[in-house]
This record gives sequence, C-alpha cells and structure tokens, in this order.
Amino acid sequence: MPEPNTPSGEVDQFILEQIDSVPHLEALLLIWRTRPKSWSINEMAKSLYVPAELAENILRDLAQRNLIEEVTKSPREYHYLSSRDQDRLIALVDTTYRRELIRISRMIHARAPSALREFARAFRFTREKDKEKE
Amino acid sequence: MIVNAFLLGVIALSSLVAGVFFLKFWRQTHDSLFLSFGIAFLIEAANRIVTLQDARMNEGNPWHYLVRLIAFIIILAAILRKNYEASR
Amino acid sequence: MAAAVYILGAVTSLLCGVLLLRGYFGARKKLLLWSAICFIGLALSNFLVFVDLVVLPNVDLYFWRLLTAVLAMLALLWGLIWEGEA
Repeated sequence: MPEPNTPSGEVDQFILEQIDSVPHLEALLLIWRTRPKSWSINEMAKSLYVPAELAENILRDLAQRNLIEEVTKSPREYHYLSSRDQDRLIALVDTTYRRELIRISRMIHARAPSALREFARAFRFTREKDKEKE
Repeated sequence: MIVNAFLLGVIALSSLVAGVFFLKFWRQTHDSLFLSFGIAFLIEAANRIVTLQDARMNEGNPWHYLVRLIAFIIILAAILRKNYEASR
Repeated sequence: MAAAVYILGAVTSLLCGVLLLRGYFGARKKLLLWSAICFIGLALSNFLVFVDLVVLPNVDLYFWRLLTAVLAMLALLWGLIWEGEA
C-alpha cells in the first residue's frame, strides 16, 4: 500500500497512474456502477457521447490495465473485472469523483502527456496489479 | 580517422540533447526515473567528449569504462527503485 | 574488467530495450518504440566493444561500434522530438 494512505491520496494515485483521460474514468465508473452488466462499444459510445472509435480505444485501454475484461469477441463486450482490493478502490474512486469532480478533472488535465507516463510505466517489471500481495 | 571523430561528435551531441530532453521530462512529471536517465546520458556525453582527446584505443582506458559503469548503475538503480516503490 | 563493464552495459541497455518494447506493444506510444530501438542499438554497440576487445582483438571494429551507437542515438532523438509529448 502506498503511504501516506489518506483515501484521497490513494484515489489520486490510482487516477494518475491508471486513468488516461476523463472519458476513461467515466467509462470505468459507468461499468462499475452497472456491474456485472456487459457493455458493447456502441453502448458505451452512446452513453459517453463520444465517437465509437474513441469508445473502442477507451475500453481497450481499460482492459489492458485489467480494470475490465472482455467477455465476448464479436460483438465485443466488456464487463467489470472484480477483485477484493480493486472493488474497494473503485468504490472509493466513485464516491471521491462524485464529491470532487472539478478537482479530479483538473488533476487529470494538468498532468504529463501519456507517452511519458507510459515510458515510466514500462519499467515496472510487473505490470498487472498485485491482487495477491499484502 | 576524421569519420570516427565525426561519429564520436554526433554521439556526444545526441547524448547531450537526449539528456536535456530527459531533464525536461523530469520537470514535467516529477518522476525521478527521467532524472536518472537524463544524468546517465549527460554523463555519457561528457565521457564521449573526453574520449576525443584519446582518439583511438580509448575504450580500454579505465577512466572511460568506469564512467560508463556509473551511467549504467544509475539507470539500473532507477529501474530497481521504481519497482521497489511500486510494490511497497 | 573493461569487458565485464561493456557486457553489463549491453545487458542493461538490452533490459531497457525489452521493457520499452513490451510497453510499446501494450500502449502503442511511438516514443517507447524509438526508445526501445535506441537501447537495443546501444546494447549492440556495447556488445561490439566487448567483441572488439576480447573476441576479435586483431580486427578493428571501432567504426562499427560508433556507427551502431550513432544510429541508436538518432533513433532516440527522432522519438524524443516527434513523440515527446502526448
């Protein structure tokens, strides 16, 4: 667990590391709130008011980070990937985001370009979240 | 000979520029990984420039490879540190 | 001793290159691809120093050592300039 472990510190760190944009966060939280519903690309595009291609990228990104998982191949659908630690964290993210939407949106927009974050992230040996540890 | 010196100069300057880019990235991201890469490339740039004086048979020179060793260790340490912090 | 340092250098660079390649295939950011090419090129360059000093001491590989390093660094610069943001 990272310290200091204030709830908002943990949420901020998660968002800074795993969330590429505000639509990514909205998509994740949408999938979380409606779990275990499976979402298709078009459904997500409609709900987020974004083009289908962007929705596809967002869902692919979230799946790559093991936040959601692909359930069917065609049509491609995703649902929330549950684990105890992750559930707790996402629930926290959800309530924090509802409460502090402006601060979090600003925080997402203010940080470094994603190429740099991916560069830094590449040097993590284990890229999946450690679900078993601690 | 001139070609080799030229190539050496190209490497030195590119390492210098790369180092500066990484320092810029460090300022943007506050991630010390970029600082480490920046320093490593700047060290290598300086190393290459100093090498110019020796021209040939330089890579067996202890000073040259010890400095390079330092650059590698800085990078390795940065990578290990990133993973240690990630799993804390 | 010198040989060991260059092998260590080759291994370190190769490690960076492999990690960055893996990152590239995951996230598809071109910066990682160019950086990976650079580090793999530098690994090759360091390996050639080892070969030059230890394996083939009567063959002069200096030009090739420098050339691989130059190409590697140019690849990195290309990536940093064009892909260094967003």
